[in-house]
Amino acid sequence: MLPITAALLAVLAALLAWPVPALLARARWPGRDPLVALLCWQAIGLAGGLSIIGALLVHGLAPWGHSLPEAVWAVLHGRAATGAVRGDHWVTLTLAGVLAFELVGVLLLSWARIARTRRRHRALLELVVQPAPEPDARLLEHPAPVAFCIPGARPLLVLSSGMVAELDGEQLAAVVAHERAHLGEHHHLLLLPFVAWKAALPVLPAAERAHGAVRELVEMRADDVALGSLHGSAPRRTLAAAIVTAAGGAGGVPAGALAVAGAGVRARVVRLLEPADPLPPAARASALAAAVLLLLVPTVLLLLPAL
Amino acid sequence: MASLGELERAVMERLWAADGPVAATWLRDELADRGLALTTVHTVLSRLEQKGFVVHDEARPRRFSARASREDHAAQAMREVLGQAADRQAVLARFVGAVDADEARMLRDLLAAAGADDAAQG
Repeated sequence: MLPITAALLAVLAALLAWPVPALLARARWPGRDPLVALLCWQAIGLAGGLSIIGALLVHGLAPWGHSLPEAVWAVLHGRAATGAVRGDHWVTLTLAGVLAFELVGVLLLSWARIARTRRRHRALLELVVQPAPEPDARLLEHPAPVAFCIPGARPLLVLSSGMVAELDGEQLAAVVAHERAHLGEHHHLLLLPFVAWKAALPVLPAAERAHGAVRELVEMRADDVALGSLHGSAPRRTLAAAIVTAAGGAGGVPAGALAVAGAGVRARVVRLLEPADPLPPAARASALAAAVLLLLVPTVLLLLPAL
Repeated sequence: MASLGELERAVMERLWAADGPVAATWLRDELADRGLALTTVHTVLSRLEQKGFVVHDEARPRRFSARASREDHAAQAMREVLGQAADRQAVLARFVGAVDADEARMLRDLLAAAGADDAAQG
C-alpha cells in the first residue's frame, strides 16, 4: 500500500513538472512584477525537486517507520524494517538516490563549467579593456554596440566602443545601471538552478520553458532597478531607446546562440514605453504566499508522520 | 606593488607595441620605471603563455611575441564571450541580444510611435 504522503508528493511533483510552470510562463502578470515572479520560479524549482525525491524516499523507506525522520533514524541505527521490504521499495530508493545525485551533480558541474568559462573570458578581456566613461565600467574596442557583465568575485562590466559611440550620455548611464543591477542582485545565481535543471532533464519541456522565462524576467528586473537610479526627464524612454539601438545595431557581432528571440526584446521595450500598473499589494502578497506555501507543503509532508 | 594582472597588461602592451619578437631583458628595460626583476618578467610571460596569449621562439635567449594583434585579441574575446560557440549561461548578463533587421525596424517604429504620443500629450 502506497502511503498517502508519497502519493500527495508525487501529485505535487507532477504538477510542478508540467502544468504549473506552463501556466506561470504564459501568465501576463510576471512582467508587472518580475521580482515576485522570480521568487515564484525559485519556489517551483526547489519544491519540484523536493517533492519528487521526497515521494520516492517516503515510499522506499515506508517499511522502516511511519515518518521520514523516523525511518531515516531507524536506517541510520541499523534497525530492521518493521514491515516487509519489497522490490518496489528498493526501486524507489534507488531512483531517489539517482535523481538526487543527478540534480545535485549537474548543479555542481554547471557551476564549475560556468566558473571556468568566466575565468577564461575575464583573462581574455582584462588584457584589452580600457577605462570607460563610467567609473566601474571598462571599454572594449569593438564596433558593435554591446554591453555585458561577467559576475564573480571581481565582476567585470564591459561596454564596447560601438555602444559608447551610438548612445548619448543618459542612454549609456541606463545601460550601465542595467548591468549593475544584474551584478548587484546576483542574477546569475537565480538562473543557475534552471540552467542545471535544463541540463539534468533535457526531456522535460517545462525545464526549457522555465529557463527561458527566468532569463527574460531577470532582464526585466534589471530594467526596473536601472529605472530607479536614472535621473533624466524620461528614464523609461531613455532605456527603451538604448535597448532598441543596441538590439538593432549588431553589425559585426557573430549572430550566435545569444541572438535573442525578438519577442523577448519587444516585451521589454513595450513594458518600458507603456508600463502596466504595478501588481496591487493584495495580488503581490498572494503570489508571495503561494511561493512560501509551495515550499512549505512538501517540507511538512516530508517531516510529519506519513498519512 | 602592482598586481600580476596589471603586470600582464603592461607586458602585453609592450609586446603589441614592439616591432617583432623581443627578449625578456628588453621587456625588463622597457618596464624600468616599475623596477621589475628579470624573474618577475619571466613569471608574467609564462603566465601569459599558459593562457595562450604569448608565444616564444627557440632563439637564445628566447624571444617573446603576442600570439595575436591587439585587434585580433579583442575580436577573439568578443567571439568567445558572445559568439556562436559562446556558453550562454556564462554570459547571462548581456544588455540585449541582436535581433534581425525586420524586428529592429519594428522596435524603432514602436519607439517612434511612443515619442509621437508623448508629443501629442505634451
